[in-house]
Formats: sequence, C-alpha cells, structure tokens
Amino acid sequence: MRDVLTVCCYCGCGCGLYLHVKDDRVVGSSPSRNHPVSRNNLCVRGWNAHGFIHDAGRLAEPLVRRDGRLRPASWDEALQITADALGRIVHEHGSDAVGVLASAKCTNEENYLLQKFARAVLGTNNIDHCARL
Amino acid sequence: MTNSINEIEQAQVILVSGSNTTRTHPQVARRFFTAMDRGAKLIVIDPRRTRLARHAHIHLRIRPGTDIALLNGMMRSIIDENLIDDLFIQMRTENYTTMRDMLFGIDLAQAAAITGVPEKMIRRAARIYAQAQRSVICYCLGVTQHIAGTGNVQSYANLAMLTGHVEQEFTGVDPLRGQNNVQGACDMGALPGVLPGYQSVADPGVREKFARVWGVELPVTAGMTLLDMTHVPDSAASLQTATPAIRAMYITGENPLLSEPALNSVRRTFHQFDFLAVSDIFLSETAQVADVVFPAASFAEKSGTITSSERRVQLMRKAIDPVGDSRPDDWIVRELARRMGYAMDYDSPAEIMEEICLVTPIYAGMYHDRLDREWGVQWPCGGRDQEGTQYLHKYSFTRGRGRFEPARHVEPAEPVDSDYPFALITGRLYFQYHTGTMSRRTPILERESDQPLLEVHPEDGRRLGLRQGCRVTVVSRRGRCRFVVELTDRVAPGNLFTSFHFAEAPVNELTVEASDPVARCPEYKVCAVRLEEVETC
Amino acid sequence: MLDSFVLDKDHLLPLLRKLGKDYRLIAPVRNRHGDTLFTEIHDLDKVEIDLEHQPQSSLKPFFFPQVEVLSLYGLDRDAVSGATWYSFYPQLPENRPTVYFGVRSCDMMAVMYTDMIFLQSSEYDVYYARHRENAIFITIGCNRPFANCFCNATRSGPFLEHGFDIQLTDIGDRFFVETGRARGVRLRKQWSYFFRDAAEEDKRAQFQAALEARGLFSRLVHVDLVTRILARQKEPTEILAELSARCQDCGGCAYICPTCTCFTIHDQALDEDRGERLRTWDACTFSGFTRMAGGHNPVDPERQRIRKRFLHKLLHDVEHHGRTSCMGCGRCVDICFGGVDILRFIEMVSENETEPEETP
Repeated sequence: MRDVLTVCCYCGCGCGLYLHVKDDRVVGSSPSRNHPVSRNNLCVRGWNAHGFIHDAGRLAEPLVRRDGRLRPASWDEALQITADALGRIVHEHGSDAVGVLASAKCTNEENYLLQKFARAVLGTNNIDHCARL
Repeated sequence: MTNSINEIEQAQVILVSGSNTTRTHPQVARRFFTAMDRGAKLIVIDPRRTRLARHAHIHLRIRPGTDIALLNGMMRSIIDENLIDDLFIQMRTENYTTMRDMLFGIDLAQAAAITGVPEKMIRRAARIYAQAQRSVICYCLGVTQHIAGTGNVQSYANLAMLTGHVEQEFTGVDPLRGQNNVQGACDMGALPGVLPGYQSVADPGVREKFARVWGVELPVTAGMTLLDMTHVPDSAASLQTATPAIRAMYITGENPLLSEPALNSVRRTFHQFDFLAVSDIFLSETAQVADVVFPAASFAEKSGTITSSERRVQLMRKAIDPVGDSRPDDWIVRELARRMGYAMDYDSPAEIMEEICLVTPIYAGMYHDRLDREWGVQWPCGGRDQEGTQYLHKYSFTRGRGRFEPARHVEPAEPVDSDYPFALITGRLYFQYHTGTMSRRTPILERESDQPLLEVHPEDGRRLGLRQGCRVTVVSRRGRCRFVVELTDRVAPGNLFTSFHFAEAPVNELTVEASDPVARCPEYKVCAVRLEEVETC
Repeated sequence: MLDSFVLDKDHLLPLLRKLGKDYRLIAPVRNRHGDTLFTEIHDLDKVEIDLEHQPQSSLKPFFFPQVEVLSLYGLDRDAVSGATWYSFYPQLPENRPTVYFGVRSCDMMAVMYTDMIFLQSSEYDVYYARHRENAIFITIGCNRPFANCFCNATRSGPFLEHGFDIQLTDIGDRFFVETGRARGVRLRKQWSYFFRDAAEEDKRAQFQAALEARGLFSRLVHVDLVTRILARQKEPTEILAELSARCQDCGGCAYICPTCTCFTIHDQALDEDRGERLRTWDACTFSGFTRMAGGHNPVDPERQRIRKRFLHKLLHDVEHHGRTSCMGCGRCVDICFGGVDILRFIEMVSENETEPEETP
C-alpha cells in the first residue's frame, strides 16, 4: 500500500487528499490532517474520489470514426488524422474556423499548452472552457 | 476569491448569495458554521430554502433573477441610515456620485415588489451587513448565470465598496469556483480574450512578449466564447455575417452536448462541423459524436498543478500509471503540435511550469519543486522567494481605484406566462457532479442520488395532482424532458428546481440560449416551463 | 501480574529491524508533508516513525479496507446446450505475518471490537479473518493524550490492561515493556537480548506515567452518565434533530471511526462477461443506507440522520456487548464538517438530564 498526497478532482475548494494505492490500483481516499484547507476532512465526493478511476467504461485506446462508427485505432493514427484534419481546415477556411475547448479538469500545465496550441499552432484565439457553467 | 477560505471563520457577517454552499462547497460551509458558533450572523440570498438558508439569521427569498433590485434596495437603505464608509469611498473608489444619484432614484417599496422580499427584511439585512466590521460576501453561479450576471456581480462589489468591506483580511467578495481547476484554466488564458495571467490579447506589448517565447506571431482579434462556438447560427444566416462559422473543434474534458444551454442548438452546430476531436476519460455524450476520441489519463494518473477557488496553486501528484493505453492531455497536445510542425519540447510538467512562470507575472514563483515542499502557494506570487497572497486588493485595487458600476434590474430573458407558468431553476446536487461522468460511476454517490429529481412545492403539487416519486414531463419552448417529482418546500410556489447531472433527463433541452452580453454566461437559472403528462403512481 | 521488562530506546530501531526480516512492519510514519499515517515500512532508515502525533487513521483500513474485492464473477456457458450462468470465484486476501507497531490503546480496543463483529457473530467473515491472522500488536500507552481524546471516559485507554501482544510505556530514555498475549511473549523471548527485567523503579515510573496521563485530558465528558440517561429517559429527539440539521452527509465520521463496520456490496463490471464483486465502506448517516426499494425511508433524513450512529455507539452496544463501541479516539470530532460530533452530543445529553424520579 502506498499513500499519495494529491488534490481532489471535484469542486474548487482544493482539498488535499491521499489516494491509497495497492498493486497499481487506487483503492481508497482519505483526508490530509495538516492540509490548510481540508484540515482533516473531506465531503462525500472527496472520500469517494477513487470511485470512477477503474470503471470498466474508462476509455483505454484511441477511437477513430470509420464507416460512421467509432473503432479502436493506434495513437499514431488518431493523432495523424487529427493533425491532418485541423491543418486542412486552417488552410482552407482560416485559423478562426477552428475552436479549442480546454478543461477545468485539466492541470494548469495542460491548459497552458492547450491555449498555446490554439494561438501558436492553429493561430486563433478561439479558446475557452466551461468557466461559466 | 479575494479572501482565503480560512479567513471566513473570522467574519462577523457572512452574506451568501446563489450558493447552496453546504452541498457544493462543504469546505466553505464548514467555515460558516465555525463563524456562526463564534457569533457571526448569516444572511442568505436565494430563491430556494436550501439547507444553509435554514441556518440563516435572515433568508432573503428573492424571485429568481432579482438580485440587482434587492441589492439596490439594500444600498439605498444603507445610504438612508448613513451606514456608508465615507473614508473608504473617498480614498479607494471612484464614480460614487453616479452610484449615489442612481440609488436616490430607488424606491424600497418597489424593490420589495420586484424581489418578493418585505421592505423590513431588506432594511434589516442591509443594517446587519453594513454595521459589522468584518463582513464577507460569498456568491456562486446563482448570481452569475443570468442575463444580468455582470450587473449582479457589480452590484455585490458596489455593496462591498459602499460599506468598505473589501481590501482587508476577513472581509471581501468571494466567488466560489465550481470545478477543481476552473480558476487555473482562466489563469492559464484558456479564454478568448486573454493570455496567461489575464494579459490581454489586444495589447501589442503582451503579444510581443509571448511571440518572443513562442517564436510565432500571435493572433490579434479576440476569439469566440464557448457559447458562441457551440451555438453557431444556422449556416444560411452565417453567410451574411462576417464571422466565419466554426468548422472543427478539439475538445478536452468537456461535455457541451449535456452541459450547454439549449441543446437543440448545440446539436445543430455540432452536426455542421467538418471535424471533431474529443479527449476524455469516458465516452461522454460529446465524445460519442466525435471523429477522433483520445483516451485521457485521470487526475490520479498524471502530475501537474491545479488552482483552487482561493487562488491556491497546488501540486497534483501521480498515483498510478495511466489506465489502459490512455495518456495525459499534455502529451496529446504536444504530439498534435509536433505533427502540425510546431515543436513543444518539454520533458515534464515542471518544465512547462517554468515557461508559465516566465510569461505570467501572477504565477512567477510557482515552481514545482517549491510547491512540492509547501501546501501550495496563492497567486499573485512574484517570484520563487515570495510568499504568495492570502487576500487580494491590499492597499489598493488591482485596477487602481474601485469603480462603482450602477446597475438596474433586468427581467429574466424568459418570464413566466400563462402558457409556461413555472420558473425552472437549474443547479447541482450534493452526491452528483456536473454531467455525472465521474460521480455516476461511483457506487455510493450513485446510490444516494440516482434519479433526476424535480423539486416542486407541495402546494403546486396538490393543485396539479402530483405525488412524491411520480414522473412528469417538463416542457419549455425549446424541448421536453422527464423527471421524478420531489415535493419539497425548498422551492417557492411557482418555482421548480432540478440538476443537470442526468443524461436521461438532459435539462438543457429546456434552458434558454440567452446570456449575459458581457460575460457570455448563459441564463441557466431561469426559464419558463409547464408540466405535462403526469404519470399516476 | 503481567511480565514486565525494559527496552532501552537505543535498542528500538535494532529490534524493529530484526522484526522487519520476518514480518511486514506497519507503524505510524510522519511523511514529508507532516501527516502521520500508519504506513508499511520497507526501509527503516528512510522513514520517521512518529510516536508524538496521533495517526490520522486507525488500523481499520488494514483489516477492513475501504474497497475490497470479494470475488470475481464471470458468465460461463455450456458448450453443448448453450445454457449460461454466473460463476463466482472468491478472492481471499493475502495474510502476510505483520507487526503493527506504535498502536494506541483506543485503536487496539477497536480491533478487539471489530474481531467480535466479524469473527464472533453468526457470520464468520473470512476476508477479515485473513487480514487478522498472523497480526502482532506492539502498542504504546499515551503519556500525553491528544486534543480530542476521551478514552478515559470510554475506558479504552490511555493504557491497556489486556488485548495487546506487547505494550510499551515511554519512561524517559527507555520503554517499560509488558507482554500480554502468547505471540507477544514469544516475540519477547525470541529477541530476549534486547530486553532486561524491569526493576522496581521502572515499575514505579510506569505507574507514575499512567497516573499523570489521566490528568491530562482536555475534553471532559461523562460517557457512562450519558449511557444511563439514554437508557432511562425518552429519546432526545430534539437534540438529534438539531445536530442532524448540521450534518453535511460526508460520511467521514463512519469512515474514520475505528469501530464502524457497515459496508455495502456492489458489482463492478470488467467487461461484458466478467466483473468483480466489491465491498466498500458505508455509513448509517446516508439516506441510501436505509432507503427501501419502493423509496420509503424509515429514517427521517432531516431529523434522524445521526440517530443510529450515536445511539448505537452509546446505548445499543452497551446493551448488547456490555460496553460502548466508542473508543474515545476523538477522530470523528476533528473530522466533522458541521460540528455534529459525538462530544457535542454527549455534552448536550448530559445537560439535558432530568431527575430520575421525574421519568415514569
């Protein structure tokens, strides 16, 4: 068993919690006593933050639409199709024909790269996320 | 938040508006209880009688969408009773005379008529808030998700400035953020008008700074908001406008096909896309219509930082390897960029953060090695050796003087009428979360709350022959949706409340597309509906 | 009279190192974030064993984990007839011999209580039993009780008279050592060269430490009185309702409680034909805990949410087992969002006492 201190994945309070890991599987969550915000407690979502991680519905491989249906594909294929499609649309319709949605569930570093991707690679300020929801 | 969460414990008066805090931000509600145990007074502004409202000393149960009328009434009363903070207004604010003149035109009786709150209670609440030394305002989406959302927020700021309840420890104006990193996504410039650290894309100096680091010219015009990207007008109409329609989207960890208002219109927009790529941990409603789906790593499977409501930047640490062949989003973006001819060469999230520190003044000290040793740091933090900021606007507002922005009451976009006599309010439940992709797969959470409940006042229920647990269809001008009735006096007669967590009852089929013209925040909180097809049970 | 010995503090680490060769070693470790958790120790030289702070959690997660796979199931098919059925394959946990070091009295008493629930009731719990087999407990008495402790009032500390394998008492530069159950005696004998017989002054020092500890509790509550009041008077419905209104439904009190043993069982699919049957912690404060299939709930979640929890700990278990199942560890006091803790309940009920003759 290992205990990994991290931050809760639900609301914006920013509670510190431990994920308890056994054999590369997250088998529990519990609060951090000294964390300045959570101070030894969590709400029911935090106590169950591990609940969905190993759900059978987790996407485990890239999917690509073929003949109208999403089918498993390699990373190489999925990434190349996307890069080609975005490149083509920027070329044909201009940068502002593409939009990017970042995520309030992604890290700062990921959000930084996503907006950099929109602005530096695609050349558009069409970048937003769900701040208003 | 201008304050830190812990400061709330020291407040003497807590004014909470449009926030079901015990359910959505329990950690903040815990501070309310502590403060109340120490003698603090709690004022709750909410059309619903939430759990928190039942603990309030004063519950101002306004009609949905009438915050401005209420606040103007409170401020008028504060001026009448001479409870304003003259010194603060003089030293720290501007535009006060315009504000005062507007308030002199406010009639409390009329405010009472618009809001449905008795004049006496408006006066009492105003007095309690203004008289205390340390009053704090906490608000959530019940304030912002209106067509007058910006006016609502400005009115709370007006109230705080009028009484000098900002710029100090234990007192301020605190919006509570709903997602673990919604603050960080904003800070990182995942917004159409600003680069990281709220630096405007319109500022040539800012663009030049970023261009030097990124090695490319930056686009000049502000981009489209989420609402505009996902609600493109019919293609026939768009030909006549200058803005080109969106042809392709790359969406990470969002589910607009359930979370956006007026879903009919969202579906029409998505249907027109030439290409859609979605990155998510589950096959969400949006991923189901994508051309390419990337399996993303969950929060337990990657490291990086996230920023909480109180501006605290903290390290999220990787606990396990990504499940299956999923990958973190930063890897996916870097791979896409590389394939499109732009190298994003970083060995780790820590290296990405070093670039963020370089270009983002408020994040200048957020190096991973440092965050790893501390419990995170609150921005603004100007350098590695600086401590971070417990509360904002100390000594002066960010923009210099705080500006009073008088606002006037605006009726909701879709008032109730005889065809659609109920006002439908949407929000969140405790055991579920957003579109339910995570919480609905968590057994205890799903057991506690597995039905799309519609809160109906018992009087309305009696009149329409509704019983607890029976099914009913809610119809708006845009769509219909089936819910399970919960008779409760949490809602006022004439109001209904439900959540947007359940894909089998997508409430955004019903909601209006109307939004605040400045913030582009949709009016989720009110639309007119009627009830049909009551199933006997 | 228990056998008593002395272990010099200098010899503690060498002793643990020896034990670590034969046993999995679990002890309170203060991590680099400053939190103290019971942790499996792989390298004694790289961890800080912390006997100064109360471990955040009890030993419960080791014997009754938050999530545990009970069995795998799969759809089996008869090749000839095509008939299908589900087969279950129990997944018993490993039972590595383990030394739990630095266990506080309350947590040791809690293990004895959960033994009674899982092993001595009509349903013998094989999963708990597997975790529990081959466990050795080296406990430590509390010279200085922690902020929310009240084990003196629940008679489960600060020192133990039985239940441990070995009990240590800090008496300055050395530990006073008592051996209790057979495994402890064996262990002491196996490593006898680390120990010496206790002298009279060591015994006096131990007695003095125990005596002083009793005077250091800051939370003064009268648990026996509350049990008597609850048994004698009408149910304190208004107190329960007042506290229920502040409960925020987190379940934390039950999760953190070393003696709360409620669980729920659910199936998690692995793919279309196979899955795992899991049990996870549950809490009587959740409305789904008592809600029936038709939707009716015999417990009014608004007024009675915490009724079961407090009455079970303080009244029903006294009636059934002769002692309260609250061990006074105080963890649920700190963890509560709404200040709906058991100490507040005890205080409110105590103040609510009516004269015995007034009650019928």
